[in-house]
Amino acid sequence: MSLNLDRSLDYLKMLIIVGILILVGQRFGYGISIFSALPGMIIVILISFLALTIKDSFPNLHFPAFAWASLTALILSMPFMPTAELFLKYTNEVNFLGTTTPILAYAGISVGNKIEELRKLSWKVFIVAVAVFIGTYFGSAIVAHLVLKMQGII
Amino acid sequence: MVTNKENQRDIVKKNDFNSLLKLFLSVLLIVVATEIFGTKTFRIGPGQVVLLPMLFAVIIGMLITPNLLGSKIKVLKKIISMKEVETAGTYVMIALLPLGVKYGTLVGPNIVEVVKAGPAFLLQEIGNLGTIFIALPLALILGMKREAVGATASISREPTLGVIGEKYGISSPEGTGVLGTYLMGTVFGTIFFGLLGGFSAATGLHPLALAMASGMGSGSMMAAASGALAESVPAMKDEILAYAATSNMLTGVTGLYSVIFLGLPLVNFLYDKLSPILSRKDRGDE
Repeated sequence: MSLNLDRSLDYLKMLIIVGILILVGQRFGYGISIFSALPGMIIVILISFLALTIKDSFPNLHFPAFAWASLTALILSMPFMPTAELFLKYTNEVNFLGTTTPILAYAGISVGNKIEELRKLSWKVFIVAVAVFIGTYFGSAIVAHLVLKMQGII
Repeated sequence: MVTNKENQRDIVKKNDFNSLLKLFLSVLLIVVATEIFGTKTFRIGPGQVVLLPMLFAVIIGMLITPNLLGSKIKVLKKIISMKEVETAGTYVMIALLPLGVKYGTLVGPNIVEVVKAGPAFLLQEIGNLGTIFIALPLALILGMKREAVGATASISREPTLGVIGEKYGISSPEGTGVLGTYLMGTVFGTIFFGLLGGFSAATGLHPLALAMASGMGSGSMMAAASGALAESVPAMKDEILAYAATSNMLTGVTGLYSVIFLGLPLVNFLYDKLSPILSRKDRGDE
């Protein structure tokens, strides 16, 4: 167990900042009013906070907070769960694509300290990496396509 | 003495606050601008290119860092310095969580279909090894040696970095290789998959299969690939996102073991077989 109050407060502070970014962003991008999305956003922040707490409590599981967040929301929204209807009603006001833009804005800035390292790499690394990306993506896609077809799902 | 120390602490706190505020306002500006600009789609040949706001956001974010535009524009360097860059890294991890929740809300209602597709989900994890057959020979032809093993064993997200770092040491040739692919993925991964995701629907592979493929163990790459795919096949939007999220969760569980027990043995085996044939060491041009 490695919980502490300071860190928890830090998490909450950061989650609230991210929440504000999403609310403002989706107001402009998708015309969703900030007030109608607020209850959903509070739920999203609470689950995210829970995910961080679980991850910190069980460091040996090596299961990322991102996956805990998905798993928690998944369970709450399954059709036979009594929570599903209300939970989905509120979280539907938080737009899926709206949550992605702040992540990538931060991600873009965060690679700023890797630009110099990147310049040192040879162009060969770039070519090989692209081959790795394509191989991973289409390798999975082809197997998935064949198996889904055999199962008669597609 | 005490007041002096307290003063110092206040100054540190104030600096931290100013730094956070600068970062927050910069990100807010990027988010609002890219959201107003919106999603742009256009056709190239058989496929559709989908440019989501997140794609513009990552490019703008990168451009304003100290070593790029910051080195030309002094004022920018004052707003986004290396300190803000470091903080941004922490925020990526936090900002991913609301997306994680959204993905969960997409899987939950579709849980019955997802469980039915269980075998496909499990087997496509093995499909990730497909990369070794394409990328390893290419790396050898380009003249890489043991670096190729690290670079092509998997898509080199954090678990692979850990495994190879532990087994060979991160400053070994294998470590250099895995760091190279890791770095490329971190910097260009979302841009690459954001473009590929929309276009891949034109390959004739089923959108659900492509959706599964976009779960590669990186939340942001998955978001880029599946977000673009969902925009280019809007009729299946929710299913695509649900399948992608499930696959990514599964990779979170299996990814580490798949590298240890399948990826590394396979890449080493193929390296031993292929390097005598493909390696350029005998031609003396490297």
